[in-house]
Amino acid sequence: MFPNAHIPYGTWGSSFFPSWQSSPLAEVNICQFAGESMSRIMGKRKVSTSHLDYLIIGSTIPWHWKFWNATVAASCMGKRIPGYQVEQACATGLQAVIMAGAQIQSGASEAVGVLTFDRTSDSPVGVFPERRSYQRTQAISDVWDNFGFDPATGNAMLATAGLAARKYNIEKKEVDELTNYRYIQYFNTKEKGFLNRVAVPLELLNVQGKSMGWINEDTGVRKIALESLRAMRELDTCITSGTQTHASDGMATLLVTTESKAREISTKPEIKISFVGKSEVRTKPGLMPEAPALAVQKLLTQINLKMEDMKVIKNHNPFAVNDAIFSKLLNYDWKKMNNTGCPLVWGHPQGPTLTRVLIEAFEEAVDLGGGYVLVFGCAAGDVGIAAVFEVK
Amino acid sequence: MRNSIRQSTLETLGLGTVLEIFKKGKLPVTASEMADKVFGKSPTRGALVISGANGIVGAGKTMQFGSRLLPFNIPIIALDLPGSPDGIGKHFSNLSKTFGKNEANAIMKNIIKLNYDGATVPDTLKTYNPRYLLEAIPEILNLKKKHYELFRNTFPGIQISSVTSGFPSSQLGVNIAHPAFPHEINKIWEIAEPTPSDFTQLLWSLGLIPLQVSDHWSFVLDVFFCGLMLAGLRYHNKSNMPFWKTDKYIRQLLGPNPFRAHDAIGAKGANFLTWSCLHHLDKNYGTLFTPTAELEERKESGQNWYPLDHFRPLVNWSLDKEENEIFQTMMMGALFQMTSIMIHEKRSHLSSMNSIGELCAQFTRGILSMARKAGYQNIMNTVQDYHKLHPESANTKWYPDIFNQISSSEWQQLYVNAEFENNAGVITISRESYNQDIDDELNRAIDWLKAKKVKRVILTGDFHLSTQMVGADTNDFFPALTNANEGERIASSWSATARRLYNEFEISVGFINGKRCMGGMLELMIHCHYLISLDDTVLAMPEVTLPVVPGMEGCHWSLRKTKPELRQNIISMLMEGGSVKAQNSVGWLIDFSGSMEIALKKTWEIIGNGKEVLPFREVFSKPIENITFNGLKSDSSSNQNIMESRKAIADCIINSCNADLNDALTIQAKHSAGFMLSKLCRKGRVGSEYDKINVN
Repeated sequence: MFPNAHIPYGTWGSSFFPSWQSSPLAEVNICQFAGESMSRIMGKRKVSTSHLDYLIIGSTIPWHWKFWNATVAASCMGKRIPGYQVEQACATGLQAVIMAGAQIQSGASEAVGVLTFDRTSDSPVGVFPERRSYQRTQAISDVWDNFGFDPATGNAMLATAGLAARKYNIEKKEVDELTNYRYIQYFNTKEKGFLNRVAVPLELLNVQGKSMGWINEDTGVRKIALESLRAMRELDTCITSGTQTHASDGMATLLVTTESKAREISTKPEIKISFVGKSEVRTKPGLMPEAPALAVQKLLTQINLKMEDMKVIKNHNPFAVNDAIFSKLLNYDWKKMNNTGCPLVWGHPQGPTLTRVLIEAFEEAVDLGGGYVLVFGCAAGDVGIAAVFEVK
Repeated sequence: MRNSIRQSTLETLGLGTVLEIFKKGKLPVTASEMADKVFGKSPTRGALVISGANGIVGAGKTMQFGSRLLPFNIPIIALDLPGSPDGIGKHFSNLSKTFGKNEANAIMKNIIKLNYDGATVPDTLKTYNPRYLLEAIPEILNLKKKHYELFRNTFPGIQISSVTSGFPSSQLGVNIAHPAFPHEINKIWEIAEPTPSDFTQLLWSLGLIPLQVSDHWSFVLDVFFCGLMLAGLRYHNKSNMPFWKTDKYIRQLLGPNPFRAHDAIGAKGANFLTWSCLHHLDKNYGTLFTPTAELEERKESGQNWYPLDHFRPLVNWSLDKEENEIFQTMMMGALFQMTSIMIHEKRSHLSSMNSIGELCAQFTRGILSMARKAGYQNIMNTVQDYHKLHPESANTKWYPDIFNQISSSEWQQLYVNAEFENNAGVITISRESYNQDIDDELNRAIDWLKAKKVKRVILTGDFHLSTQMVGADTNDFFPALTNANEGERIASSWSATARRLYNEFEISVGFINGKRCMGGMLELMIHCHYLISLDDTVLAMPEVTLPVVPGMEGCHWSLRKTKPELRQNIISMLMEGGSVKAQNSVGWLIDFSGSMEIALKKTWEIIGNGKEVLPFREVFSKPIENITFNGLKSDSSSNQNIMESRKAIADCIINSCNADLNDALTIQAKHSAGFMLSKLCRKGRVGSEYDKINVN
């Protein structure tokens, strides 16, 4: 898949993901933040934005001047390059990277910036005139209304988790233990300094140019005890406030380039990262948490590889049951995946979620000496997405 | 026989030396005689034509000449194309503020606006007898050449200068008179002509500052300014740092903020001019000057460098130590390399080159002064490191050996010159504000004169680059805001230098000839045995308004020289921060005032005949008691800050006066340094300026 497209090692980065309403990010233009942060991160990685000739942005929540999409983000980097915006709910962060690979493979670009971001805090409230609605005019709150209602099924996100847990006879005890383990993985990794290679501290300024504070922590993420998880009330089968992710804000970026450009700009040109394959499935109504596992099954068949071939496995898991179901369907020990943290712990800013997952996965693969990297996740509409990359 | 440390910049204009001015008792030329030479005598006196008069440069110069040539009855013809938007009218409100409505009306009455089609001149123009054309039309070579041809054919014998910022005279076929921005108030002109012309000397006699430069692409100013912009763009490209933040770091390092300046001038025009300058330098000198893609793009689009208001910067940038080193190398490496080329080509007198950076491009310290401080080896290392960071620049030849000359007197005396004949010497200062460079150079000048056995000396401005003496350069105080030792070092070492004028010469005369003399510069001048000034020069000690406590003995020196009944004048000046005309301060602050010629002659008389010419007011070296602070005007705001500042100055006055002269220097230095550490000083002008450039 996309043999001409490569991801230059070390040119990536993300912001930390402060939880909903816990940082100055709650009230800024998130596209401007993302554009300026991308410049800063690339600067830190000693890569000039002058290399970029195209920008693909991934974002799911409306932001001011979204009409102008990628061009606004590029302008915030001081560049006038073309591009477009892609969105596919929580699959956005991976889908944007795939689209960038296609852009390179087509020969249309030499270096594509992938920039994903979202601000779940204070999402815009829109008014949609609906002539056939009994309410005539409905005010919608983009984030919470959609979390609570899939127009195709009428179900809330949370309900799909309960439904899937019941289908696979998942027990709360296992889900609590799995969640507890995910927190341990995150904090162990953080203490080792792994996050410093992924997330870049960023200082925000108000209009007077004074500091509004730093985005230098995944704020809202605290160590959790298994007993506390066990004591939490079930909102649906196996689902408590502790075993699901939380809304957050942030951005993440990486580059997709030709092989020669990757060698030119990578901080470690000897490392080669390439695309292997990608799949998507849409499972039965209301069973979103099983979709990623189904996508992985499909993908492995497609590329003729097995789970044992994968060196790093990492996913977007808004519900801990996602991992439990994956483990059951793929017969794979959930303790062997998500080694450096995952969205269940560090949050769910939608657009950039799977981009950060991917960056962490690449860094982990490099630490392990290379190999296949499997990244997957679920998305609104009972969709699962999966992709395999190779790190040499 | 006259001897000098180095050539004076005045000599480059064909105007002789400062010593000659004192000897002859008059200025080398007057505006009236130069106006006659350039425009002819009445009744056949001709007009000055400014073409492209509605543009930024043309309109600014129309205003400048309109006001300065009015007394000489020389009409200003403001010529432009019919469709050009009015650039002159918008200056009227500022003109009124500066000169008053009646004077402003008179100036405007003498500015005649005419339209022309670009191919022929209006018949009416002939009735004004154009004698001089100052061309300020767009920077397009063929357009300019056709314009000159038109005027030469229509008005044979007309003299022409171009305001071009880049094209050499050899390309245009006319002399160059390139004015610095902002055009209506900046007095600097870069002049490229084979020998100093009457027009150039007219500029000088009108109080403007013409500087001779050689006939090379972009002369001096635009190499510095456009070169700095380019260095900033290259750093942006290397680091991704946004333009606004790059600008702040450039300001911290060097003084200017080139990106903001382009936006303020008008990005469309300024971007084009910078591109044009760099483009031609690139063609003639190579890739050291190649414009970046951003500049290529913005010279077409005219887009501003700073973000629009709705995208005011959101994510901050700060440099760590390693990043800061790279930044400094990218800036200084490029500037050192460019400077070496300009010096190799002898583009101007070194003092002029250094001053152009300060006076026109807002450098806190001139590049030559910075190079001198860095020293040969650091410059070599910086440029070599720069070439590693930007290898393309290594393809342009540079001249490292130039910096081997740093120990020569031309390099060592960029701001302070000294000359003497027989027993009489003159020290001239060519910088408006006193800083460590001046202090070092002044000491060297005094050493040189003493070594030559000169016993009588005049301390004055240079009658060229420095048209006033505004005080101490507060940039030098920044380290003292956090370090008392540094404050004490500055105050005591500068005071010690000033005392040399009193202690080490048989006679020293301070001659104040500019618009004003204030603060630290006035403190320096009062150390001379005699202080002589032009009648209308304004003298002031405004420290209380900043606030700072005077550090160069201003709190006791004059009080020790003045009769007790007149001391209140000095106390009021110090405590209220007000100003006084020189003619009203004779006897208690200065010793004599007069017109230029009278003051020059009196000064030379003292140098020749000694203390018989004027009564000598000796410095009282014992403690002075009974200093009182009665009758001070209350500050209209009566705010707490002013009261605290006054108290700090009063304490300094009392303690430094109530001590022996020997001890007073240290006492005043401690007061001055102590106040620098105060919250009040931090909140004041010095602290605010420090905060502005203290980028994080």
